[in-house]
Amino acid sequence: MIQKNTVVKNAIEVRNLNFFYGKFQALKNINLNIVEKKITAFIGPSGCGKSTLLRVFNRMYDLYPEQKAEGEVKLYGDNILHPKRDLNLLRAKVGMIFQKPTPFPMSIYDNIAFGVRLYENLKKQDMDARVEWALKKAALWNEVKDKMKQSGLSLSGGQQQRLCIARGIAVKPAVLLLDEPTSALDPVSTSKIEELIYELKNDYTVIIVTHNMQQAARVSDSTAFMYLGDLVEFNETKKIFLKPDRKETEDYITGRFG
Amino acid sequence: MSEHIVKSYEEQLQNLTNTIVKMGGLAESQFANSVNALLKRDEDLADKIAGKDLKMNEFDIKIENQVIDLIALRQPMGIDLRETVSSMRISSELERIGDLAKNIAKRARYLEFDIPANIADSLRRAANVVEKNLKDVLDAYSKRDKDIAYRVWNSDLEIDKLVNFAMDELLKFMKSNKKNLELSTHLLFAAKHMERVGDHVSNISENVYFLVTGDQIKGTRSKGEKSSSTRN
Repeated sequence: MIQKNTVVKNAIEVRNLNFFYGKFQALKNINLNIVEKKITAFIGPSGCGKSTLLRVFNRMYDLYPEQKAEGEVKLYGDNILHPKRDLNLLRAKVGMIFQKPTPFPMSIYDNIAFGVRLYENLKKQDMDARVEWALKKAALWNEVKDKMKQSGLSLSGGQQQRLCIARGIAVKPAVLLLDEPTSALDPVSTSKIEELIYELKNDYTVIIVTHNMQQAARVSDSTAFMYLGDLVEFNETKKIFLKPDRKETEDYITGRFG
Repeated sequence: MSEHIVKSYEEQLQNLTNTIVKMGGLAESQFANSVNALLKRDEDLADKIAGKDLKMNEFDIKIENQVIDLIALRQPMGIDLRETVSSMRISSELERIGDLAKNIAKRARYLEFDIPANIADSLRRAANVVEKNLKDVLDAYSKRDKDIAYRVWNSDLEIDKLVNFAMDELLKFMKSNKKNLELSTHLLFAAKHMERVGDHVSNISENVYFLVTGDQIKGTRSKGEKSSSTRN
């Protein structure tokens, strides 16, 4: 039997991370590694800090002056919390998809091309190719190839979300952050997004925050359970959902949470 | 373990456990009675056992339905998933124990004369250990006790030894006189069935261990000596 190369490479390494909304501490000394080209899920009750952690990964919190992060978050070795970090470049490397689809009020084509133009100067032909590539990756191409000039807002909710994913990957990020990407979608659209997430892990490191535990179980390789700003347990997804080590995790995943 | 937020879910799981416990209780009495029926050639008791086997099958179907409902409607996770999956497996094992008990009891009708005391004693000794293990494994299930489950799993060897001893005696008895052939053949089957019941009990112990720990029982049990009937 051929042995697979089992060297694990971390896309993101979090060290002693604390996060504050003003005086309120939302993350407490978080330490974890996000493995490259794997899907990592964060679960936990509302207010546990999972979305906050996601927002640290591309420094979304920087938009708000009273929010601050302490510690280290390394993206392929570089601390992204460094004050001199170029945030535009960071966000091109770490893309984010939100709970509600947020297409720009422009054509399907421009929704994809818009972000690319910020970072790259492509010829028309190359841009066309990039848009097609991104839409194909997001499993949307066949549904929109004949209406590229139509508004992105004319698409269904599920299509809009896949458009946003296409927009996210068009700039070729290293990491994709998905914050509740299917909570506003019907089951069929949800399945399509989940299938897409699974496909994406061939090329990207995917981090997903979800309230839907079955979704975390279905799509992720590793799952982290967070509670009140602590990382309670982080392990292989199968382990978390079959026999977690911590009682708090078991209570949460089985619906015993008080 | 704290209770589920959704009370009807808690009740569903509790019902499943209760059904397993009831079914286990019936399996215990079916097996104990079957050995009595056989050793005492009690045909009335054998008939009663056959009648009650229908109840065992009903339990099995009931548990299967409860499990399917839980998986389809609740999507159990963690301890609930382990509980659900092991219940279905345990139920099948209990159902097989019921079948074997029925078969052991049935043989009471075909014994032409009383069982010689030394053979009856040997069969009784083997049956006692099987009965004790069945009782213990059901306790392990009720108490969610992995240590008892492990002990039961590890004591299967003793049953094999006792059964093989009884079978060797039966072979000697068989060879001593042709008239003993039919009775001995029935008792050989009965002895083998007792051993099979022991195997099912052992399978249940594996499921209880998985239920409690999430792991499979590890390690190897040493195998019992082969009887002359199975040695070749």
